[in-house]
Amino acid sequence: MTSTASSQKIILAHEGMANSRALSTYKANGGYTALAKALKMQPTQIIDEVKASGLRGRGGAGFPTGLKWSFVPRDITGPKYLLCNNDESEPGTFKDRHICTVSPHMIIEGIIIGAFTVNANKGYIYTRYEFQEEIGYLEVAIKEAYEAGLLGKNILGSGFDFDLDSYVGAGAYICGEETGMISSLEGKKGQPKLKPPFPAVSGYLGRPTVVNNTETLANIPWIINNGAAAFKKFGTEKSPGTKLFSISGPIKRPGVYEVPLGTKFMDFLNHQCGGMLEGKTFKACIPGGASAAVLTAEEMQNVTLDFECLAENGSMLGSGAIMVIDDSQSMTDILKVTMDFFSHESCGQCTPCREGTGWLANILEGIKERHATPKDVDRIYDIAKNMSGKTICALSDAAAGPAMSFIKKYGDEIKHNLGAEHS
Amino acid sequence: MTTTTTDNQKAQAVKAPVQVTFTLNGQQISVPKGTSVMEAATKNKVDIPHFCWHPGLSVAGVCRFCLVKVEGARKLEIACNLEARDGMIVSSVDAEVKEAHKWALEFHLVNHPLDCPICDQAGECGLQDFYMSVGKYDSWMNRPKALKPKALDIGGDLVLDTERCILCSRCVRFEEEVTKTDALGIFDRGDRAIIGTYPGKKIDHNYTTNLVDICPVGAFTSKEFRFKKRVWFLQDRPSICPGCSTGCAVDVYGKPQERHYYRIKPRESEVNGHWMCDFGRHQYVPLNAELRLPKASLQVNQQQKYVLLEDALTELKTMLGQVQPSEVALLVSAQYTNEEYAKFFDYFVTQHKIKHVFQWREPTETIEAFDGLLMRGDHNANTQGLLSAMKQVGISAKPTNEFDKALDSKFKLVIALAPELPDTFPSLAGQLAKLSEAPAYTCVFSLMVSLARIPGFDCLIPMRGWAEKLGSFTNFEGKIRQLEASFPPAVLDALGVDEAVELLAGSRHFQPREHTVH
Repeated sequence: MTSTASSQKIILAHEGMANSRALSTYKANGGYTALAKALKMQPTQIIDEVKASGLRGRGGAGFPTGLKWSFVPRDITGPKYLLCNNDESEPGTFKDRHICTVSPHMIIEGIIIGAFTVNANKGYIYTRYEFQEEIGYLEVAIKEAYEAGLLGKNILGSGFDFDLDSYVGAGAYICGEETGMISSLEGKKGQPKLKPPFPAVSGYLGRPTVVNNTETLANIPWIINNGAAAFKKFGTEKSPGTKLFSISGPIKRPGVYEVPLGTKFMDFLNHQCGGMLEGKTFKACIPGGASAAVLTAEEMQNVTLDFECLAENGSMLGSGAIMVIDDSQSMTDILKVTMDFFSHESCGQCTPCREGTGWLANILEGIKERHATPKDVDRIYDIAKNMSGKTICALSDAAAGPAMSFIKKYGDEIKHNLGAEHS
Repeated sequence: MTTTTTDNQKAQAVKAPVQVTFTLNGQQISVPKGTSVMEAATKNKVDIPHFCWHPGLSVAGVCRFCLVKVEGARKLEIACNLEARDGMIVSSVDAEVKEAHKWALEFHLVNHPLDCPICDQAGECGLQDFYMSVGKYDSWMNRPKALKPKALDIGGDLVLDTERCILCSRCVRFEEEVTKTDALGIFDRGDRAIIGTYPGKKIDHNYTTNLVDICPVGAFTSKEFRFKKRVWFLQDRPSICPGCSTGCAVDVYGKPQERHYYRIKPRESEVNGHWMCDFGRHQYVPLNAELRLPKASLQVNQQQKYVLLEDALTELKTMLGQVQPSEVALLVSAQYTNEEYAKFFDYFVTQHKIKHVFQWREPTETIEAFDGLLMRGDHNANTQGLLSAMKQVGISAKPTNEFDKALDSKFKLVIALAPELPDTFPSLAGQLAKLSEAPAYTCVFSLMVSLARIPGFDCLIPMRGWAEKLGSFTNFEGKIRQLEASFPPAVLDALGVDEAVELLAGSRHFQPREHTVH
């Protein structure tokens, strides 16, 4: 990224700095001043500030963060927990690992402020197993923070105690679902829990628990330091702030970018990302991770990258994982690997998801084996439709959404290629 | 969100149960606050299709079958995890709900092997029943099904077929919550998920067959019942388990035409909830015709000889007339009904002035033992009933084995009500041998053909088995447990003690007996 763009950055402000991960670098650039400020505020003031900022969860669902914090009951005694969801596993998403690589202390500072706000004295950063390097960065940062009195007893003389641990998952997609993550953290099989009760009331070990995405928490120090109004200068009215996008596909400069929400997609693709590779034609785009509905190149022309515009177009901002597809790629293949993924990752608990994801993958296997008729293609849509909105967690919908969109938009192409060879 | 339900409010709700009223399929239903729509529906005989919900287990909410429509809700909700709230309008029959139920069933059947012709569950299978009530469509599944391990011996009475399994997790929750043995888990994910035991664990307890009962499909079948009989050929009668003093409500399944019993299943009651033990389940075996004393028997030339009931009872009555009441001992086991005891003591103690009444009990029993769930160390269904019947005729006693007292040489006639369940009397064979050698004239009322092979008994009267009786037991805590319906006896000549006494007393007369086939 060029240095001129750094004025637009909240999360990646320290990207490119020497030793950006070190506590000393972080502190020299204003790190942990937000924590000192927050510890002198009333928790309700912090919630009000975060609410006013309009910050929405960056994990995919976009739930307002301040509102989530306000659900934690204040009047009950006993342990409460704050968990940082660093289990980034949505196919196409690789933004949280980048924050761990650039500014692990920004995450930790956000976690401590969040914990102080909801009066949690214990927290975990839950990271997927595959992020071995990033786990190392986080663990070093946690150690530094303890040594500097930023974690542990009586943080910065405030009287607030908070312990933070790093916890490594086993690489299951479903453990990125907050209650799946809680089950895993409890030492159980990673399976989402039936709601109600919601984690804010009964979460980790049956205690009030807040689960926030890594990027969400990394936004908190900036909001505390600069205020909600400054934050709202970025982005749109309903999607304030900046967002990390991890973009992949046959484009010139794939990678992680921080841009204000509301940025026009085509500008982002053509300017920051350098446009399509030579000889490749933009055909379609999955804008929010594998669980987002596919949009055609035509639909993408006027899309802006924010929660509301993508929802209006029948897809979602999701985790900000943009996968660009060119016209040499087989939509059948993309749908098949996507369904294979969800079938592999379904926890198996709810019948429609367990059987539905497998069934979809099974039909696509038949299509690949050239044992399918156009009816089978239509069947994909019906199965997906009837898997939607019927299960404990959103994995079933995550599989059904893209399946329906592929059949709706590329069903004819898939049917047309039923007899063709697939690589 | 549910932040409003604080512990405080819950505590208040316990103090004063508040009723809520909601509408289900147009019907107004009032239930205590905290009741789920599923519980409310079940209580009001509204069937909402379900697999994973079970009234005796926690809510899992995984089969996603019990979907209902709540007016104003964005999407369908599952009735099992939906608390009934005041004014809520719920439908389980709306067109959208019906379509959802059909699909939910289809998802359960996608990888089900549909091997009903060789499955013991056929005829009482949730998949079959719901196919008839909410399914009736042609399957769209035209791909190879997932293959999983079959016919696994995982301990106890259980055979597991993981292909038939629909992963409702009832069995896992039963192991966690009821027996607290935690032997079962769900392994792997997605459509590869299978039920299994944890490494090094087998299901090993006295409640295994409950897993067969609660399994809504044919994943768990019973080793004992497997391949014995198609369930639609069986008749069932509500009765009480005779295996111990708990008195679990049961249904007995038999086929009267074959004079054969096949299995016992628990019936929900306040005493046993939804469960029963494996020991109790076995107590249909002594009732089967091949183990039954088929006819009355008298000793002729030191040999047992089957005779007409009339002849045996006449001989007993003659004996009774020839001895003094003080020369008669009544030896009574605690496995008969209250009604039988009443008639028996009225006739022999009140009318015939016989004062020597002795309890016949298993000498090795530990009467106070209790497994913490259902089974008690007193393996007699009616100890309390026997003691109170004795008290009625002026004999106060505690449960004691007085078997040896009846063998005293001062007795010239011993009339014994033998225990009917050999499993409950490990010392029975030895006791019977001793009794047969007693100098007195021994008349034994019994179920078991094995007695006819012991030459020393003078008179044997064939008895009805527990499932062939009406009446009641009084359980360990004094609760009257009704044997609500009975099978015709598996042997034609079998009598209840009450019938035998009436015949002796002349208040009932011998009639040509017809074996009624129901």
